[in-house]
Amino acid sequence: MSDVPSIRIAGIHKSFGPLEVLRGVSFDVHRGSVVSVIGASGSGKSTLLRCVNYLEAPNAGEIYIDGEPLGTRVDARGQSRPRSLGEINTMRRELGVVFQQFNLWPHMTVLGNVIEAPIRVRKVSRKEAVEYGEECLRRVKLLDKADEYPARLSGGQQQRAAIARALAMRPKAMLFDEATSSLDPELTDEVLGVMRELASDGTTMIVVTHEMNFAHEVSDRVIFLHQGLIEEEGSAANLFGAPKSERLRQFLSKYRK
Amino acid sequence: MSDTLKQSLDLSMFWEYRAILLQGLIFNALVFLCSASVALSVGLGAALLRVNRFWPMRWIGTLHVEVFRNAPDYIMLVWVHFVLPLLIGLLIRRRVEFHPFVSAVIALGLVYSGYFAEAFRAGIQAIPQGNLDAARAFGMSERMILWRITLPQVVRRMLPEALNLFISMFKATTIVSLIAVPDLMYNVSMVIQQEMRPLPLYTGAALTYFLIIFALSSGVRHFSERWRRKIMA
Repeated sequence: MSDVPSIRIAGIHKSFGPLEVLRGVSFDVHRGSVVSVIGASGSGKSTLLRCVNYLEAPNAGEIYIDGEPLGTRVDARGQSRPRSLGEINTMRRELGVVFQQFNLWPHMTVLGNVIEAPIRVRKVSRKEAVEYGEECLRRVKLLDKADEYPARLSGGQQQRAAIARALAMRPKAMLFDEATSSLDPELTDEVLGVMRELASDGTTMIVVTHEMNFAHEVSDRVIFLHQGLIEEEGSAANLFGAPKSERLRQFLSKYRK
Repeated sequence: MSDTLKQSLDLSMFWEYRAILLQGLIFNALVFLCSASVALSVGLGAALLRVNRFWPMRWIGTLHVEVFRNAPDYIMLVWVHFVLPLLIGLLIRRRVEFHPFVSAVIALGLVYSGYFAEAFRAGIQAIPQGNLDAARAFGMSERMILWRITLPQVVRRMLPEALNLFISMFKATTIVSLIAVPDLMYNVSMVIQQEMRPLPLYTGAALTYFLIIFALSSGVRHFSERWRRKIMA
C-alpha cells in the first residue's frame, strides 16, 4: 500500500456565524479502508463530510485527495492559491456522495440519474455510460427499476439508486452521509447490505452513521466526534469494545439499551 | 326575433371574408409567438436576478417584475409605440420609429415577462437544496446545473401557471389593432367600415377567439398534466 492516503483531512475548522461546528479535525483514510464517523447529533459529523468535498468550504484546514489539495493549488511561483470553482469541480468528482435524503433528480429515470454525471461531467459516451450504469444498478440490485422515475420507488430503492449513481462516476472514494437515517428499519437493511458489499469489495469509504452495529462490523477505523473535535478514535474493536473516554461510553450506552 | 338580432347571429358575412380574416389571425399568432419568446427569455433572466446571491442584482430583478407586472397592457403598448421611440431618438439624436409589430412584441413581451419571472422564481425556489447539492457533488458546473437539473424541474412545476399566462397573452394580442397591427380585430374593423354591419363580424371574431383558445388550452392541459404526473410524487 502506498504511503499517500486516499483522503487526508487536515485540521478542518468550520463555523456558521458565531457557531463553531468543527474545531480542527484531522484523520487519514487509506485506500480500500472504511472509516466510520460517529457522534451525537450536532457533533459536526455531517458538516465534516460536506467539507470533505467542499459542499461547505472549510474556514481553515485542507482536504487532500491522493495527496493533492482540494481547495488550493500551488502556482508557478510556489505560492499556494485558492482553486477556482471549476478546478474544485474537477477534484470533487473523484468523491461519490450518498446523502441522507437520497437527492435523486425527480425528472430523470433511475438510469437517467445514473448516467447524467458520467456523460456531462466525465464526458464518456452515452453507450459506455449506459453499460457501466447498468452494471452499477446490478450491483445494488436495482436493474429492473432502471426505467422508473424516483417518485415510484421506495426509500430503500431510491437510496440504492443514489448509491449506483455515485458508483457510476468511478470515484476514488465514497462518502455516506447518514445514508439510512431517513429510512424505515425494514428498508435500512437493504441499503446497509449494499454498503457492506461495497466495503468487502475494497471500496474506500467514509461513513457517517448512527448504525453502531454496522460501524462495528465494517469499519477499519472509527472516529468519535464530540462538539467539533475528535474525542476518540481507533479500530472498531477497541472503540466499541473498550471505549476510553467517558463521553464515548455514555454515547454508546444509549445505543445498547 | 328582431332583425338586428338575426343579423348579428348570421355569420355568412364573416365566412365571406374568411381569407382576409385568417390573415389577421395569423398576425395574432405571430405577435403571440414573438412576444411569448421575449416574455419567457426576459422573464427567466429577471427570475435569475431575483434569486441572485448579490442584493443589487436581486433589487434590479424585483424592480423589473414590479414595473412590468403593474403596467396595463394597453398603456404599455401605447407608451412603447409612441414614447419609447422619442426617448431613444433623443438619446441617439436621430429620428426613430417602431414598426407597429415590433412595438406590439416589445410591449406584450415586457408586460408578461414580469409574470413569467415570478412563475420561474417560485419554481426555482421550490427545488430542494439537496437536488443541487447532489449535482455539485458530482462536479457539475453551475450552468450545467441550471440547464440539466433546475430548469427541467422548474418548467414542469410552473406549467399550469404558464399555461394560464399564455392564454391571457393570446387574448391580449387583440389590443395590438389599436396601433395598427393588421391582426384579426383590425381586419374586422376594416371590413366593418366597408360593409357597415358590425354585429355579425364582432360575433364571428368573438366565437373564433373562443374556439381557438378553448381547443388549444384543453389540448395542451391534457398532455402537460400527463407529462407532469410522471415525476411528481
